[in-house]
Amino acid sequence: MTGAPEPGSKLPAGRVSAGDPLVRARGLRVRYGRREVLRGVDLDVYRGETLVILGPSGCGKSTLLRQLEALERPTAGSVEIGGVDVLKASRREMEKVRRMMGVSFQSAAMFNSMTVGDNVALPLREHTDLADSTIRLMTRMKLQQVGLSGVEDLYPAQLSGGMRKRASLARALALDPEILFFDEPSAGLDPIIGAGIDQLILRLKEAFRMTMIIVTHEMQSAFQIADRMCMLDRGRILAVGTAEEIRKHPHPRVRQFLQRIPDAFDEGSSSYITGFAG
Amino acid sequence: MSFLEAVGHYAIRQVEYVGGLSIQFWQSLRFALRINPFSARRLRWKRVTAQMAEIGVRSLPVLCLVAGATGMIMALQSGAELRKFGAMEAVINLVGTSMTRELGPLIAAIVVIGRSGSAISAEVATMVVTEEVDALRAMALDPLDFVLAPKYVAMLVMMPCLTVAGVFSGILAGGVFVYFSLGMTLLMYFRRTAAILLLRDIVSGLVKAVVFGSIIVHVGCLEGFRVRGGPEEVGRATTDAVVKSIFLVILADLVCTAFFYFFWR
Repeated sequence: MTGAPEPGSKLPAGRVSAGDPLVRARGLRVRYGRREVLRGVDLDVYRGETLVILGPSGCGKSTLLRQLEALERPTAGSVEIGGVDVLKASRREMEKVRRMMGVSFQSAAMFNSMTVGDNVALPLREHTDLADSTIRLMTRMKLQQVGLSGVEDLYPAQLSGGMRKRASLARALALDPEILFFDEPSAGLDPIIGAGIDQLILRLKEAFRMTMIIVTHEMQSAFQIADRMCMLDRGRILAVGTAEEIRKHPHPRVRQFLQRIPDAFDEGSSSYITGFAG
Repeated sequence: MSFLEAVGHYAIRQVEYVGGLSIQFWQSLRFALRINPFSARRLRWKRVTAQMAEIGVRSLPVLCLVAGATGMIMALQSGAELRKFGAMEAVINLVGTSMTRELGPLIAAIVVIGRSGSAISAEVATMVVTEEVDALRAMALDPLDFVLAPKYVAMLVMMPCLTVAGVFSGILAGGVFVYFSLGMTLLMYFRRTAAILLLRDIVSGLVKAVVFGSIIVHVGCLEGFRVRGGPEEVGRATTDAVVKSIFLVILADLVCTAFFYFFWR
């Protein structure tokens, strides 16, 4: 892999040595019925870097992210997070691994029956012995970090799409994770709110030097936030590298994606449309 | 696909389903046993009390109405036949024993399936579709612990309570019939009913209530957790939960009745 950043000094789970990737996928294959979504993906993500996974719709980006988050078992291959093979990990080891991860979902995945404050406080209430007053204070701080203040007592349904994404990010940050996963952080948001989320990601990166893995198909956003990029197509990785390396990549499919060139229509479908238009 | 192949696939699916239900039951039992009001995990207990209100308190009016109507229907139907033999007083035995042993728990189960079983599966299925279940797993929280266990504990507490309320409503309605047809006072009627009821009748009714409650909550949650795809699957999961719960409750009723018939005469 090219462009790996300087590894940090703090090690997770006691199994990763400096220079080793924090997240490592080897030979990942995922099959749903007869459809193979991932066809042998190898990927390393290093400590402190922001890796953006790019690719056209349906290429397997979200599936790859779910594999790296250990939310699904692959058909074949392995995923290691902090040196722990998640397929072989015990329940206790998995709990440790999950507590070093924060996940911001595409749909925000806020619990609608709880207030925003309770949503953000949930990991703290479940995994720490902190007093209620401390948890309330930390919840306010986490919400302030993502630019949301005074929304603790509102329900997720009372927030806008952008605010929900921010609140979901505050919940993901609650336990100060080492790795942050984002699935389409600006999907469904207008360009101004989307740019705000990008700014927020950059601020978090600067402030906490977190390892971030972000799935998006928004090019502008990707080039702005990525240290490295990984281009996925039809379940395979086509290219991995820095933004500049990806920009100059010779693979025709990468060039097509970057230059927004549509796939060629086949004759049958275009004559059908012409027939309608007369 | 040949007929035999289709039967084979169907059988495998059913065995898989029962297997899934059993695994879920044993895994959630561990979490349910850890829930108590004095535990540090107060959030679970808060969820249990909310579910108790939802499953128990809000089902009470409709349950009393349905059980009361059933008790009255049974008294009227049996009274019409027993009058011919001059055995009208046997209505008391009939209403008392059948409500306590059989109809009380069954009516409570059917009301709870309609109100809460469907709501449980819709809630869990929606949580799956909106990635809330994934969010729990990503936060190192087991969905069986966070979602199922509080509902299970609430159901185990509320189903026997609802059954007692249903039995009482049914017997009371029978008492109203006896008052108007035989002129027997309600106090006398209840004394007679208490005298004919055996410990076995009460225990079998309560055991059934607990078994039915377990089936309703586990089938509801399993149908919800099995949802794959979009929001249209939520409706399918809800319908399946209701149909499968009714079927399994009646099957369990048969097993429990046979057990008490053979082992506690």
